[in-house]
Formats: sequence, structure tokens, C-alpha cells
Amino acid sequence: MTDEMLLEVRDLAKRFGGVQAVVGLSFHVSRGEILGVIGPNGSGKTTTFNLITGFYRPDQGRVRFAGQDITGLRPYEVCARGICRTFQVAKPFRELTVFRNVLMGTLLRHPNPAAASARAEEVLRMVGLEGRAHTEAGSLTTIDQRRLEVARALGTEPRLLLLDETMAGLTHTEVGEAIRLIAGLRHRGLTVVVVEHVMRAVMSLSDRIVVLDQGTKIAEGNPKDISSSPRVIQAYLGAEYRHA
Amino acid sequence: MEGKRVKAALSPETYLPTAILLFLVVLPHLMPNPFYVHILVMMAIFVVLGQAWNIIGGYGGQLSLGHAAFFGTGAYVSTLLVNAYGISPWFTLWLGGLSALVLSLPIGIICFRLQGPYFTIATIGLAEALRLLVLHFREITNGAQGLTVPFKGNAPWLLQFDSKFPYYYIALVMAVVTVLITRRMERSRLGHYLVAIGQNQDAAEALGIDSARAKMQALALSAFVTGVAGVFYAQYTYVIHPDSAFGLGLSIQIALVAIVGGVGTILGPALGAVIMECFIQSTQIIFAGQYPGLELMVYGALLVAVILWRPRGVFPWFARLYGRVVARLPAVGAAQA
Repeated sequence: MTDEMLLEVRDLAKRFGGVQAVVGLSFHVSRGEILGVIGPNGSGKTTTFNLITGFYRPDQGRVRFAGQDITGLRPYEVCARGICRTFQVAKPFRELTVFRNVLMGTLLRHPNPAAASARAEEVLRMVGLEGRAHTEAGSLTTIDQRRLEVARALGTEPRLLLLDETMAGLTHTEVGEAIRLIAGLRHRGLTVVVVEHVMRAVMSLSDRIVVLDQGTKIAEGNPKDISSSPRVIQAYLGAEYRHA
Repeated sequence: MEGKRVKAALSPETYLPTAILLFLVVLPHLMPNPFYVHILVMMAIFVVLGQAWNIIGGYGGQLSLGHAAFFGTGAYVSTLLVNAYGISPWFTLWLGGLSALVLSLPIGIICFRLQGPYFTIATIGLAEALRLLVLHFREITNGAQGLTVPFKGNAPWLLQFDSKFPYYYIALVMAVVTVLITRRMERSRLGHYLVAIGQNQDAAEALGIDSARAKMQALALSAFVTGVAGVFYAQYTYVIHPDSAFGLGLSIQIALVAIVGGVGTILGPALGAVIMECFIQSTQIIFAGQYPGLELMVYGALLVAVILWRPRGVFPWFARLYGRVVARLPAVGAAQA
């Protein structure tokens, strides 16, 4: 493993009123890897994404990206540095076409609309949405909405992509397609963090997995170790997974 | 030569807008009655105002109910300068616009980091505060009596004419230029970004869009154009009052022009201006000022009607009609080739 650190999160903490959503969380992402983040509902996965991407300001701790401190930057600044995220609940620009949705992403690196349009077409082909280019984003099926989220993010040409439950609500076949899409991104030189509940996806995609529970890291390791760790099974996977 | 033949032929897409523009140029000569020309001038002014509002309110989705603040600032700054120093209104046109732009900066800087109704409330507050300030500082502003531009007869250098025709042509040029500016903005990165922000600000920020900055740019442009229109209005009517220049009624009327016509479109506010002006004039003629405040009721009724039946304004309906007309018209000059 080329253990060059792309993202480093150190001692991150965030409290909402009486709830400590994230506490003393540290982990890192190496260049070129796919890191899986799992944990039960409310364990702080999405909050961590929001803290990294500037949607929340951490109470404590630092976030470093490619050697620079990016703690507390605004979301658009984080994106401009090269980290782009998708949302758990897809947030398409509903009344705009798929093409224009992606264009909003590609304009970041290509201020000229003509150049951005050309780039948007490439990105649409990359995720297999070229046939839907002129569909209104609000009327897409679930899987196509997820594809669009990924496409828009890719349009900003990130170095690190944070995917928040991209597989939720997909059928078995669709999960397979999504896995292929994400695995393909790595070959394009991207580093990816996936927050995911669909175990099949996390286990097959991830090089390494970080397990969160109650806002802190309880385990970290390769998929095989994680799925056999008693502590993880107790906190998250539960008895059902052991049977399976 | 295939390419040349296509070029030589005038398609309806090209000649119809040209024909409409030519029609607008000759229109006042077809009905030279000053009252009708006055209505045309007011329509053109409201095309400018509605379009300026549309830049931030339509494209950017930031509802302003205080655009009179920028309009009144342009009108008062210009009239004070013209009266005190004899500066040509051709210069104060720009100064009025710039003053409005400067005024918009603190509002944008304070409000655009936030989401929610703060901007709307701030714009209402700004216009109202300015109205009260103008009423209060009587020595400078002449209070409730307002300011008048001294009448100099036919003085083109002072932006004064003894006929309404020159005013109409200046207003028409302003309207066309504003439409062209909007079109250019719509196709630029800023235009796309404003639409993205209007749809979903969080998603826009996640894609690297500095929403506060984009909205600020849009508001500054909008305020500038509105201020310029205010200067022109003051020159045209010769008299401005705190109520006519800073009143909430004017702010609502400006917003309605864009909303009735169709927000976030290049030509919607132009249609809205024509419809609104016809509406206002006819209610004034029918009821002859018997019921003060009637126009506010008319605005209210119109707003309800638009939201119920045409939430996107009349523009989509007009666009379909226009498309059908264009499809039926023949290309000119193609037959010989």
C-alpha cells in the first residue's frame, strides 16, 4: 500500500445541544484507496462528512487535506480544494435537466460555459446517464438520481470523493451496477470514502474500513478483519450478520 | 454552396424579433396622443425595473420587496446633484446607479451568508428607512413635498425634451440594453450559478459555488440598473416624492412585473411590464381615482391569480405561442436559391 496520506482527521468533535454526535474521532485516508465508513444509525457518519466538507464547523479537532489545514473552510472552498461529497438524501436541482445539473459542477474548473458543457457530456457518459441528459432531474428514478449525484460531484474534478449512502434504496442488481461504477472511479485516480449500510457493497469495495459507534471509532482494518471482529459484530452487524 | 444559401435566407427566428423591434420604434407614431406615449414610456421603464429585479429575484431566487430603495436612491441622488451643481443628468444617470450599487453592498454582505427570509425583510426595512430619512431631513430633501427638476424646455443636454418621443426612445434603448445584459448574464457562469443557488443552495455550495458571492454580484447589478431607471424616471416626471420613490407599493409593483411575466426568463419581465401597466391604467381610468389604495388591491388580486393559475408567469404560454408563429412563418429569400 502506498501509504501517502491524502486526508487526515484528528481528534474531531461536534456536539448538538446535549448530543455528542462526534467525539475524539481520528482517521486518515490514503491516496488512491477506497475507505469504507460503517456504523449504526446515529453513529456520526454523516456528521463526519459534514465536518470535513465545511457544512458544520467542528467544536474541536483538525482536518488536513493534501498537507493543508482545511478545518472550518466553507463548503465551496473545500470543494475548490478538491473534496466533493454527495448527499444521503439526493439534492438534485429538480427543475433543471440532468445535463444542466452536471454543468453546475463542471463550471468550477471550466468557467467558460462551452468548455464546461463539453466536460459535462463526458461526465454523463462516464456514469451512464447520457441518455437522460435532457430529462428533468426531479423525475429521475432512484438509481439515476444517485448516478446524477455522483456525476455532479465528478464534474468538479475532485481528488477525494465522499459518497454518503449512495446505495440506499437500490435493488440488488442496481447495487451491482453502483459497485462497478465506484470501483471504476478508482481506476481514474480518485480516492473515495464511502459511507454505506449495504454490507455487500462496503465489503467488496473497501480496501480498509473504519467502524463508528456513538460518534467515535471503535474499529479499523481490512474488510475481513472487520467482519470477524466481535466488537463490531456486537455494535453494528448484530446476530443476523453472523448467521448470514 | 449549401452554407451560403442558408445564410442568405432570413429565418423567422431572425426577422421576427427585428420586426417586433421595428414595430416598437414606430409604435408611438401610430398613436401620437401624449397619454398613450406616456403609457409606453412607463412600460419601458418597468421593463427595466422588472428585469433588474429578475436578476436577483428570479434567477437568484432571492425575493426582494424593497427594490424601491435602489430606485429612490438613484432618483434622489441624481435630482439633488442636478439641482445643486447643475450636473448633466447624462452623468447622474451613472452616479445614481452607482449609489444604488453601493447601497446594496451592506445588505448583500450581511444577508447572503444566511438562508431564509432575512434578505426579504432587510430590503423592506432598507426602503422604509430611506423613506423616513428623506422625510426627516427636510432641509436637504424637501421632505414630503419632494423634489422637482426645474423645467428648462427642450434641453437635450439636461435630459429634458418638450415632446415625449425622445423619452420613449431613451427608455426603449434602456429596456433593450437591460434585456441584452440579462441574456448575457443568463449564459454566463454567474447566470448558471444563480439558478443553481435558487434551486438548492446546499447542493450548490457542495459543488464549489460561492453562493454569497454570486448573489452579491447579482444584487449589485440589479441595484445599479434599478438606480439608473430611478434617475431616468425622475427626469421624465420632473417630480419625486418619498412615497413615489421609496414606497412599498412601488417595490411590490416591481416584483410583480417579473412574477406576472415569468421569473428567471429573459423576456418574462417585458411581458409583465406591458400587462401590469395596462392593468393599472385601465383600473385608474375606470375608477378615476375614487378609491385610494385601489391599486394595492389590484396588485394583490393579480398576485393571487398568478400564483393560482400561472405560477411561472405568462412567459411559458407566450413562448409556446411565439414558437407556433415562428414555425408557420416562411423563411424570406430561401425560395430563389
